[in-house]
Parts: sequence; C-alpha cells; structure tokens
Amino acid sequence: MMRPLWIVLLLGMFLNANVRAEPVLEQFFAQNCIECHGSQEQNGEVRLDMPLSTFIDDEDLLETIANVLEAGEMPPEEAPQPKSQAVAEVLQILQKRLLKTRPANPLKRLTRDEYTNTIRDLFGTEFDFNGLLPPDHTEHGFDKFGEAHLMSPHQVMAYLKTARFIADRVLPDSKPVKNTWEFDVRHFHGSKNFATGGGGDYRDEDEYVLTGFRPYRSNLHISIDPEAHDQFTIPAFGEYQIDMKARSDESNESEIIGINLGDGRHPTSFETIRRIPMPHGSKGFSTRLTLKAGDQLAFTFDSARVPGRSLAKNPPKGPTLRFSHLKVTGPLTPQWPTAAMKTILPRPDMKPAELVDHLALLLTKRPLAAKDRESFVKIAESQATSGASMTATARSVLIALLTSPHFIYKSESPELSDIERAHRLSYFLWNSVPDAKLLAAASSGVLGRDPAAEVERMLEDSRVDRFIDNFTRQWLQLDKVDDFGPDVRVFKNVRRMTVDSMAREGQELFRHLLENELSMEHFIDSDFVMANDRLARFYGLPKIEGGDFVPVKLPARSERGGLVAQAGFLKLTSTDFATSPIHRGSWILKNLYNERIEPPADVLINEPDIRGTTTIREAILKHQQLESCSRCHSKIDPLGFALEYYDPVGRKRKEYRHIEELPAKLEGTTFQKKLKFTTVPIDASMTLPNGMEVHDLPTLKAALLADKEKIFKGIIGKLVSYAHGRDVTRADRLHIDAIFSSIAQEDFSLRAAIHAIVAHPEFGRK
Amino acid sequence: MRRQTMKRRTFLTAAGVSLLLPRLESLGQVNESASPRRLLTIVNHLSFYQPELIPEEDGSWDDAPALLNEFSDHFGQLKIFSGLNNPAVQNGFGHTPCVGILSGYFNKLHRKNRLSIDQAIADMIGDETRFKSLVFQAGENLNFSQISWDKYGLPVHQIDSPRKIFNLLFQVNEDDRMQQQVLAEDRSILDAVLSQARSMEKRLNATDRAKMDEYLTSVREVEQIVNRRAHWANRSKPDVNYELDDFNRKSVDEYVGTLLDLAVLALETDSTRAVTVQIPFWEGFKEPELSGNYHDLSHHGQKPEKIKSLLMLEHAILKRISGSLKTMKERQVGNSSLFDQTTTLLTASMGSANSHNFDDLPALVFDSRMKNAGHRREKDVPMSNLYLGLLQLFGAENEHFGESTGAFEVLS
Repeated sequence: MMRPLWIVLLLGMFLNANVRAEPVLEQFFAQNCIECHGSQEQNGEVRLDMPLSTFIDDEDLLETIANVLEAGEMPPEEAPQPKSQAVAEVLQILQKRLLKTRPANPLKRLTRDEYTNTIRDLFGTEFDFNGLLPPDHTEHGFDKFGEAHLMSPHQVMAYLKTARFIADRVLPDSKPVKNTWEFDVRHFHGSKNFATGGGGDYRDEDEYVLTGFRPYRSNLHISIDPEAHDQFTIPAFGEYQIDMKARSDESNESEIIGINLGDGRHPTSFETIRRIPMPHGSKGFSTRLTLKAGDQLAFTFDSARVPGRSLAKNPPKGPTLRFSHLKVTGPLTPQWPTAAMKTILPRPDMKPAELVDHLALLLTKRPLAAKDRESFVKIAESQATSGASMTATARSVLIALLTSPHFIYKSESPELSDIERAHRLSYFLWNSVPDAKLLAAASSGVLGRDPAAEVERMLEDSRVDRFIDNFTRQWLQLDKVDDFGPDVRVFKNVRRMTVDSMAREGQELFRHLLENELSMEHFIDSDFVMANDRLARFYGLPKIEGGDFVPVKLPARSERGGLVAQAGFLKLTSTDFATSPIHRGSWILKNLYNERIEPPADVLINEPDIRGTTTIREAILKHQQLESCSRCHSKIDPLGFALEYYDPVGRKRKEYRHIEELPAKLEGTTFQKKLKFTTVPIDASMTLPNGMEVHDLPTLKAALLADKEKIFKGIIGKLVSYAHGRDVTRADRLHIDAIFSSIAQEDFSLRAAIHAIVAHPEFGRK
Repeated sequence: MRRQTMKRRTFLTAAGVSLLLPRLESLGQVNESASPRRLLTIVNHLSFYQPELIPEEDGSWDDAPALLNEFSDHFGQLKIFSGLNNPAVQNGFGHTPCVGILSGYFNKLHRKNRLSIDQAIADMIGDETRFKSLVFQAGENLNFSQISWDKYGLPVHQIDSPRKIFNLLFQVNEDDRMQQQVLAEDRSILDAVLSQARSMEKRLNATDRAKMDEYLTSVREVEQIVNRRAHWANRSKPDVNYELDDFNRKSVDEYVGTLLDLAVLALETDSTRAVTVQIPFWEGFKEPELSGNYHDLSHHGQKPEKIKSLLMLEHAILKRISGSLKTMKERQVGNSSLFDQTTTLLTASMGSANSHNFDDLPALVFDSRMKNAGHRREKDVPMSNLYLGLLQLFGAENEHFGESTGAFEVLS
C-alpha cells in the first residue's frame, strides 16, 4: 500500500536518534546474521548488512527478526549460536521499538454484512443486498480491516444504487397492492435436460417429484401459464407468505427443503435463501420471505440421498419429495403507513434542516457536523421548492445520506468518544448499529467505566448470532467447506446436508462455549462434539433427532473433539480428492496460533500430487531441507502430516487411495474420465521443532495442548483483530498478555475473554 | 456551479488523470477525416473441428482446409494462430473454465487480473461513444458463458436478446424522461456527498485522510460517468435502415447472423468501438436436416457421421462471420471502410469440445493492415502473448497481459 509522503518525511526526522541509540543491533547482525543475510547470500530475500537506518522502519522485517530470535529458529542449529544474554538484549530493543509502531488502524467503512444488518435494524425490513453491494476484500482473514476497505467508482456507484433501492422501498408513494397466486402440478416444472431438451425429475399424477440433492439437476420451479415454461417472477418488493403442500415418500425421518432464488430452468447459479425442515409425516410448510421484483423461486430437496434427478421411466428407489400445491401471497403490508415510514418521517411538516438532522441522527446515532449538513439541506430545499411531496423529499435526502461518508464510514477519534465506543462494541457483538440502551449507557459514561453489564446484555440478545456466524465464518473459513468437491465419483456417500452440517460444526462449538462459559481449551480437545442428526450419523455416534446441534458425549476411544478433529476443517483444507498436509498445517498455525505466514511470493506452489506418486512425504520433506523454506515448513509439515489418517471429507482412513484418471481413448468422448483406484500406506510421523513427536490425531492434540498458552493468546488475538478492525502484532503483546492473565482464574472461558477484551483500555483507543 | 466543474477538471488534469474525462463536445460524431480504431471479438464456445480449420503448413497455404476456406475472401488480411494455450482455462471441470478465455489469467477467488482483452481495449478506445463496449451472446447467460470482465474483475453484462440490443442502440427509450430525472438527482446527491466528504476530511488524521481521498476520487469518477450518461440521454439515437425480424433462436444462421448484423450496425453508427460476440451452445442449436443438437454433436467421439453434422453447423457459423466481414468492407465510415478501421479477433474457448481439451487453441485475426497473412503454428505459447500484441496494436504501452511471456507482432 502506498504510504503518504509525509509519514516517510516524519520518520526520517526521527531516524538519526534511533541509529545512535541502537548500535547494539548493527553489531549483533554483523556477528550473527550477515553470513546468510548479507552481500554474499540473501536467504529469504533478507539482507542485514546494510546500515540500520535503511531498514529500521520496516516493521514487518523487525517483527520477523524478533519472532525468529525468540523462537530460537535463527541462527539455524548448525550455525554458531549467540549468547542468550545478547539475544535477550536485542529482543528488548526490538520489542521497545515495535511497541511504538502499533498499526495505524485506518478509517473503516461498513462491510456488506454490517451495512445489511444496520439497515435491517433501522427499518425493520429483511433487506438482502447480495448482487447490489460488492463483496468485501479480506486482510489477514477478516473483512473488517480499514486497510482492506478499498474504495472505487464501482463501489460508490453500488452505494448510490443500493441507497435508491432502499429509499424507494421504505418510502413508497402508495400502499403496495397485495396479490395471491395459486399453483398446482400443472404449473410445476423440473430443470431442463440440456442434452435432450426434456424435463428433469417427473410428474406423478397430481404431484411433482424431486429426487436429487444437486440443485441444478433437481429442482422445482413454477410457471403462471401451464403450457409455457416461462418462470413466475415476483412483481414487487415486499414480504410474501409462502404456503406449500408437500410430503416425503419412502422416508422414515425428517427431510429438508431448500428455497432458492434463481432461474430453475437452467443450471445456473442458485442462491439458497432458506432451509425448511419437514418433520416425518409433515403435510407441507408455511414461511415468510422478503423478496424483490424479478426474484424467481425454486424449491430443492436438499436432504435427498442421490446427487442427480430421476426420470419417470426410471424412478428412484430411495426417498422422494412430492409437491402438490403452492400459494404465494404478497406483498404483505400489516400496517399503513409502515413503521419505517413513521420512523423516517415522524411529522409531515418537517423543515428541510430539521429533516436532514433527524435522518442523519437516525442512520448513525451521531449528529451531522454543522458544516457537513448544508449540502444535504440544499437538496431538501430544492426538492421542496420544485413542489415535490414530503415523501419524495425525504427519499432524496435519505439516498444522499446513505451514500455519504457520514453513513458509509465509521470514523474514530484517537481516544474513542463514548458514542464511538458504543459503535465499536455494537459492530463487534451485533455486527450492527448500537441500540438506544447501549447509547444511553455510553453517554452516561458507564460503558467506559464498567462495560460488563452491557456486554452481558448484548451476549444474551439474539443479535449476538451475527457475531457468532460472522466471526467463526471468517476465523475458521467455514464458507470454504463447500468450495471443493467432494468428487462424486470418489465420495459417493457424502451428501449435501452432511457437508452443510460440517460447515456449521465449528460455529456451533463456538456458540456452545460462549453460552455455557466453557474454556477455550475445548477448541483444542474436548470430550464432546456439537452434532445434529446427519453429523452424528457421519461420525458414527448414537442417533440424534433433528437438524439442531446439541452436545454429544464422545465414546472413550473416539479421536474426535476439538477444531482439528472436525470434518469441516479436514474437508476445507482438502481438494476434490486429495488431502493437503501443507494446507492443514498452515491453517493450524494461522488460525490457532495466529501466526502470520504467507505462501512465498516468488515460488510457484505445485502441491505434491498423491495421484501420480507414492512419495508425497519425500516430495514435501524437500521443503524442510531448503533453508529458505524450512523456517516455516518445519512447523507446518508435522502438524499437517499428523492428520493424514483423515481423508478429504474428514473420515478416518487406514491408507491412501491412490486415484488415477485414466487417459481417454481417442474414440470415446471424455466428459467423464474413468478413475483407477490403488492403495498406498500412510506414514504420518514427524517431529515438531520443539522436539515433540506427532504421528496421529491424538498425539497432535497432545502437542497442541502442550502449547495451549500460545493458542489461547492466538485466539484472543483473532478476537481482538475482529473487534478493533486491525491487525494484531507484537506491539499488542502486553495487551494480549493482560487479557490472557485476567481470564486465567475463569479457566480461560471464551465468554470471560470477550468481557476482558472490551474492558481493556485498548478497546477505547483507535 | 460552473466554476466548480472547471476547477475539478483542472485538478484532474494536474493529477495526470485527464483521460478520465471524455471530451464531451466531440462525442458522437465521426469526423470525416478520422479513422478511429475498432475491435470486434468473436468467441465460439464449442470451438471448431481443427483438422478442417488449421492448415498443415506454416506461413501461406496451398489448399485451405474446408472450414478455413469460408474466409477465402479475406485471406489477404487474415493471420491464423494455432496451438496456443491459456493458463486461465486449465482447471475445473465441464465448461466452467471457459470463463477465462479472454483474460489470459483467471482465479475464481480473486478479482484481480480477470480483465478480459476486449474490455482492456475498450477502456482505451471507448471514451467517445455512447457505449464503451457492447457484449452480445447467442443464448442465455450461464455461469460459464461469461467471458467479458472489466478492470474491477466484475462481469460485463452480456445481452442475449437481439430485440434488447436493437432498442438499446436505436430506439427511443420511454423511460428516458424518468432517467433524466434520476440522473439530475444523482448529480445533486454526488455534489452533496462530495462536499460532506471534503468537510469531514479536514477533521481526519493523515492515514484516514488518505482513505477519504480514495472516496473523493471515486465520487468524482462517478460524476463523470453520470455526466456521460446524461449527455447521451439528451442526444437522439442514430437512424438505421434495418428491420429486426422475428427469427428462430434455434437456428445458428438466424441467431448468430442477427447478432453479427447488430454488431456491424453498432460499429458503423459509432455507437461503440468495441463489440464482443459470444456464441455458447446452450440454446441447443438445431437445424432442420440435423439430428442432435450442437453440444451433443460437439462430443462427436470421432464418429464420422457426427463430425459431418457438426461441420455443417461450424460452416454455417463461419459463413455468417465471413459475410459480416464482407459487409464491413462495403460500408464506408468517414473516409475509409468499416473493415479498414476494425481489428477482428475470432477464437474459441476450447481446443476440442469433444475431449474438453483446454489447450491447443486457435485464433484468427483479421486486419486490413496485415503485412504477412498466413498461418503461424505455436506450441505451448500463452494466448496472452497474442492479447498483449493486440493491446499494443491499439497503442497500449503495457508490457504484460494475463500470463504473457512476450508480445506477438500481430501484423508483421
């Protein structure tokens, strides 16, 4: 990132003082480092023989030096070692310097999730801005960092468009007209078979039958005209009531129906907006959805047992889902004028300036500075003089304010004001704007003095679900669980809802620890897992009813328990049909230890491929022999290899299945390449840099438990990063250490950690 | 108000981004003496049966293979490249990898570097026309048929309805009055947020001010876009002597032909200077005398009777393209023919749709300035080298595009 010139100049002014004060560093580097990091060699592209002034401002470099010295990774074992006293002295100098260079925490804007929640809470409407607002970039795993919040004309255009979308809908000129549509089997269609042009799945008397879980191949969508295949589309924005008559057949358990947006006629991307459990014997379901004009509904059988659809001439043997009648009613307007309209325009005779002040305060709970409001007042005035209605005037002002920095940016003072502190806390625990109680606590000064009561209240509020979802999704990368495969040719039995459950397990564990004040140690290992019906079956645990997650005690001999034993983690770090020890090891270092490791920029990473070789171990061990790679890979590889007894979908295995794609014969079409399976033995044992040997999941967990102080601090660091919206570096060491010590008496409970983070003085600084 | 606009323009020029400002006063008129450069990009998703397309010999050929022979009118201006590969389309199953064909580099998780060559060139030549570029496709837009990506890595809308294209180019929009109002409102809103941002900026520290600068710059660029829209919304669309008839969406001849007609009209009326036409298979082209649809036939399994049917479709597509090139030679714009002003790139998303082979790609370039026409056989050379060559042909100073390892001299 480009740094403004003035910072460089300013630092230049301090430079001389630093150089004089720290000749110790130069001497230490000259004696111990420059043989490999000097004029002859520049291992890892690091060079320490230059005058100190040329790199003393490179915080990343200093931090790396401090880290490798402290861990004893440098100088390497075979080289002469400096006296420990010398190392300690150098570390102290570096630490002092790094403490002064805490990251700047640049101005943040609302992320798409924050924006969405804020608008929902302000206007009480379940808006969805997917497709309107672009997704956010992430920096070190989180989308909350100001440095990652790029601004572009495209982004501003999206804000403008979204603001108009919101204003047109919360401030309509007239009451929307309610309609009712009824559909039966004559209007029901399945996905089109693109090879033959025929319909997917089939009609059976007065029911339409779905059989497969792949949404593109097996879905139900609706046409208005029984003869035509044109989709029924939602005519206007609003809330709709959906009543579906449906039943399962050949099934003895509860099933799950997916409601999706998208054109069901063709295999294009679907967005699943809701999943509805249908208990055994159910006759259908009713639900309410907020939809927008142009939306097209399609229903899927998400808990189906086979991937693809079936045809009438060849009906499936297993469970099917049968749909017979659908009623759609809406848009529903329970009261008129709506609550949002009353909030936005409490009185019909508001003066332009009054209107602007009222809306500005409503949107961000912060008044608009006097100098900032003129331009908005001008909009209101010119609307009023041109004879526009009060509603139209309010719409214009609302669009302008929603597009303005006043709403988009979360500005923070060096020492947070009470209101700014309320915002930080609210976007941390609710991912949304503060409510009236929190603001009251803030302005009375209670929040700054003792936030415990407010934090407790917020953790008890249902809005905390947004924190749990959002934080765990980003921290554990749970949205990547379904990124790859599994290749249905190899993993025939892994079904859609099982993968969906895997993606929720980490989040449910976090929720359980938070709600029950349990120790963070359960992230490393525990005697229970969080499971629902499908996951319990997948793990081979006693039967559980229903899709809700409950704690399940593990049998004594089970290896499960803890994040690294979760199928979701094991799957998201694998490709379609191969595990990746490097990916798994680096996931553990990055997400549990909160270490900063990046793939080497100048190396093309060709993952060793077990399909073609039996020597994956040797191939990967090469890393450790190359000096430039070994610093990270001597840590990464043992952690990853210990997990090799778990396959790409997280099941225990005894040996590798060596999979080979057979070359296509010239005469055949090769759309589906044939696979050949052979088996290869696993060797998972390796030694960690600290001398501990790991060779399977239990020994890995033992090694992680031995490191639990580091891991707890790593997790605290992740939470602090998320809460403050900035990177946590060595400069935060005292901050993190203080939080760690303060929760020791509470057995390192996750809930206590969150209290301690908010109570720490750093929480009140930019 | 007026003074403010002037100031902003001065500021932008000083900052070295004057290119962002379209020269509004000159928009929409092709100067008699000027010959603007244009680009026509055509991608056939299901590729071509290459034994019938690629000549055996390098350089000039004696007997053109049958498919290539469809272009016999244009051999003097044609260079055909074979054996190119494209790292952008190497991974994934089915047809999905094809989204990166014009990008030369594509990563589904990162939006950086997805920019496609048609948009890269449109960014250079598209400032003075109503549309910076237009992208058409024969068939519905599916997740794998998106090939045009802007500099932000976002998909450029690919229009599949000839009626919509025709209305966009030539019909008076009934919502125009509405649109004028919205644009006027947009302008006053942008003014307001700009002045709030300036006022807020004064209270920020330097790091935050840099962030706010990004916002200010972006808002100013959006103002330009809005101004441009307002400018064009005020101007009448060109009159053309073209009747858009009903046509059979399942006929290659009619569907692809209609889109190509509209592409030529869009260029001829200077509505845009960059048109991209994507021909996917999804509509399942069916011709009366053929059994099986296009996709089915493309998996021919080397069966002679299927190849024969497939070739009928490919001949029909190439004949229409050749016909359009001929039309472009006949149409005079300013003081030269439309063909003289246009570089045409024809390529395919796969080497062979039979085996879903994503390398060994063919590319045909038509340009009236071609010095050495003929066949250039390559092996394991990235398609990006051709793209970089095209980019430079349009005057770019870039030294890289996608995964390029060098630049082709396209004309010599």
